Amino acid sequence: MVENPKFKIIGFFCNWCSYAGADLAGNLRLTYPADLRIARIPCTGRMDPLFALKALLEGADGVMVSG
Amino acid sequence: MARVGVFICHCGANIAGKVDVEAVSEAAINIPGVVYSSHQKYSCSEAGQKVIIDAIKENRLDRVVIGSCSPKMHENTFRKTVQQAGLNSYMLEIANLREHVSWVTADKDEATKKAMDLVKAAVGKVSFAKPLTPGQVPVEKRALVIGGGIAGIQAALDIADMGYEVVMVEREPSIGGRMAQLDKTFPTLDCSACILSPRMVDVAQHPNIRLLTYSEVENVNGYVGNFNVIIRKKARFVDERICTGCLECMGKCPLKKKIPNEFENGRAPRGAIYVPFAQAVPKVPVIDKEYCRYLLSPDPDKVEVKEGEKKPKRKCGVCAKVCTQGAVDFNQQDELISEKFGAIVLATGFNLFDHSKYGEYGAGKIPDVITALDFERIVNSSGPTEGKIVRPSNGEKPKRVVFIQCVGSRDEAKGVPYCSRICCMYTAKQAILVREKLPDAEIYVFYMDIRAAGKGYEEFVLRAQREYGANYVRGRVSRIYESNGHMVLKAADTLVGMPVEMDDVDLVVLATGSIAREDSVELANTIGITTDNHGFISEVHPKLRPVEVPREGVFACGACLSPRDIPDAVATAGAVAAKVGVLFSNDILMSDPMVAEIDPLKCAACGACVSVCPYSAITMEEFRGKKFAKVNEAMCQGCGTCSAACRPGAAQLKGQTDEQILRSIEAVLQW
Ligand SMILES: Cc1cc2nc3c(=O)[nH]c(=O)nc-3n(C[C@H](O)[C@H](O)[C@H](O)COP(=O)(O)OP(=O)(O)OC[C@H]3O[C@@H](n4cnc5c(N)ncnc54)[C@H](O)[C@@H]3O)c2cc1C
Repeated sequence: MVENPKFKIIGFFCNWCSYAGADLAGNLRLTYPADLRIARIPCTGRMDPLFALKALLEGADGVMVSG
Repeated sequence: MARVGVFICHCGANIAGKVDVEAVSEAAINIPGVVYSSHQKYSCSEAGQKVIIDAIKENRLDRVVIGSCSPKMHENTFRKTVQQAGLNSYMLEIANLREHVSWVTADKDEATKKAMDLVKAAVGKVSFAKPLTPGQVPVEKRALVIGGGIAGIQAALDIADMGYEVVMVEREPSIGGRMAQLDKTFPTLDCSACILSPRMVDVAQHPNIRLLTYSEVENVNGYVGNFNVIIRKKARFVDERICTGCLECMGKCPLKKKIPNEFENGRAPRGAIYVPFAQAVPKVPVIDKEYCRYLLSPDPDKVEVKEGEKKPKRKCGVCAKVCTQGAVDFNQQDELISEKFGAIVLATGFNLFDHSKYGEYGAGKIPDVITALDFERIVNSSGPTEGKIVRPSNGEKPKRVVFIQCVGSRDEAKGVPYCSRICCMYTAKQAILVREKLPDAEIYVFYMDIRAAGKGYEEFVLRAQREYGANYVRGRVSRIYESNGHMVLKAADTLVGMPVEMDDVDLVVLATGSIAREDSVELANTIGITTDNHGFISEVHPKLRPVEVPREGVFACGACLSPRDIPDAVATAGAVAAKVGVLFSNDILMSDPMVAEIDPLKCAACGACVSVCPYSAITMEEFRGKKFAKVNEAMCQGCGTCSAACRPGAAQLKGQTDEQILRSIEAVLQW
């Protein structure tokens, strides 16, 4: 991670839990690697498998779904 | 072609300290669709909002991206801003540059790059935004209060006095919470039961309050103004409508002295049929099915009997026999009650740290090492010793009593770094109570710091020391062990810098810290809200919105938010009531327009959406022989599950369409 900080991981985070959790991490000033780009979705139910495929096709190094 | 304006907020140094806001703002102008970009010190300020409004008008912007704090903070603020400039308030996207970037990233360059990516994603998404119009929903002017401690009681009474209906759900057989367990209360030393009991009775008698004890909330659906809640009313096996509260049954239960009474912190027994304490509200016993002999014996109707054998009989059943009213009903079942509410109030209180985790204090195995809550019960005249302070090991009066503060507070090694806030005060109170009952006893208090911030609090602690002769020793106790029928205590006096060893200690009282209720996270999940990392309920904003939680229409008060004393619990309860009153002053609320819609022309009528919808908001319709699925907007919660399940792409969640999400992914990775 430290040697190659240029990963791009696309996160799909549920608005109610994980997205709020990521906000909480911010409020607590917990640092973590900058590779994650979080998209706010209303619920992981919204997670169309197409989104993950699209991200990988466009060159994402990983996809993280959390909810 | 879209005309997007990008506004990057410095948030003082909160964002600008880590993210090169100028660079982000400059780069943004090259994102496809962006025609304007600038940065402000505080976008949410009046001046910042004016910049946004003016820029929208001057540059004929039709969509806006704001790079700022989390949308959970200011999305609504900025929706109003763009609306003031004449745009539809949903032509806005927030890039979360504070909570998700500047506050969590160590390296400035990386933070800046990440910020740029999030701005791109927001531009991508907003490019496909469509104007949305909120619907209107009526407000159900009834409140649900969960938890019947002093906080819940106060909130329920205040809301009910405003003229609104309240349902109070309490898990235990009686309301009262921890305050009912206390003897006297600091800093005035009034008797806890004397000030609490009248309020408990008020709750039971208030025409606007319906009390459901021995009940729990099982499921919460819906949204502000319109929550659908399922409450499980556990079988009490005693009919509340008939029982007169004579408690004859309790005296006859063969287990009457066999089961530790939770209310007495296990220090006195109860029966299988019991009320937890004399002033219980309602004064209707419950039968504990884990212990009751009748309920544990096999049901004769369900037992297979061989020919010629007699059917077995149920055991016991004495309580039913002695009840002159016929109120005991062994056939009672749990009841599921479904109710509609406009607002939900959480007042589920707190628990106490388990001191068995402190091996150095005997790991909970030394009988004369007790907790402060044990002490409250022991010193109480209706408690296990009728108010006599005695040593649990031999029933004798203690001559040397030691209080230890911060057991499970301010102790990072035990996972409780925070101050429990009430223990300095209740320890001083308990030291005073020892002196009142045992004029000759020696009293010691081992403390780390005295935190007595409150009206009359510092004076109270000084009184404990000066008038009541409690000896305060600053330092942590490192060990306690039994020796010759007494205890030996080792500590350090950090003021004089000397070790302390004390023999012949008779009673040790541990000020165990306040922790969240064991099921607080589970309850938060049921309601759809969050807790902090210690399990206490999170507020929307700890300073400015201290009793609101991040789900609109849900409020919290009392010690479920953080450790607090009675005055603070009551104050927050009043604040909650005021908030509920504000909400209920509306007859109609605007509903979130981000609901699903299904294009009947694309719909293949496969029914996938109908089966996946968690809210049963989709039904199959037919028009001129063509079948299609249709969303009931009032029931839709905007989760988008239908949209993910729909193969032809007919179901779309407004504001979160496939187009919008796919474009934002592309924007992050390709632009
Ligand atoms: C030893 C000790 C001494 C104290 N002395 C003082 C004092 O002298 N003065 C003072 O001001 N304060 C004192 N306090 C603090 C005081 O007890 C609290 O401030 C007060 O009890 C907080 O009230 P509450 O209603 O928020 O929570 P609680 O009293 O904890 O009440 C919460 C209620 O919610 C119920 N509940 C919990 N979970 C659920 C659920 N899932 N569903 C339904 N119901 C639920 C509980 O059964 C309980 O009835 C003392 C505390 C301790 C431990």
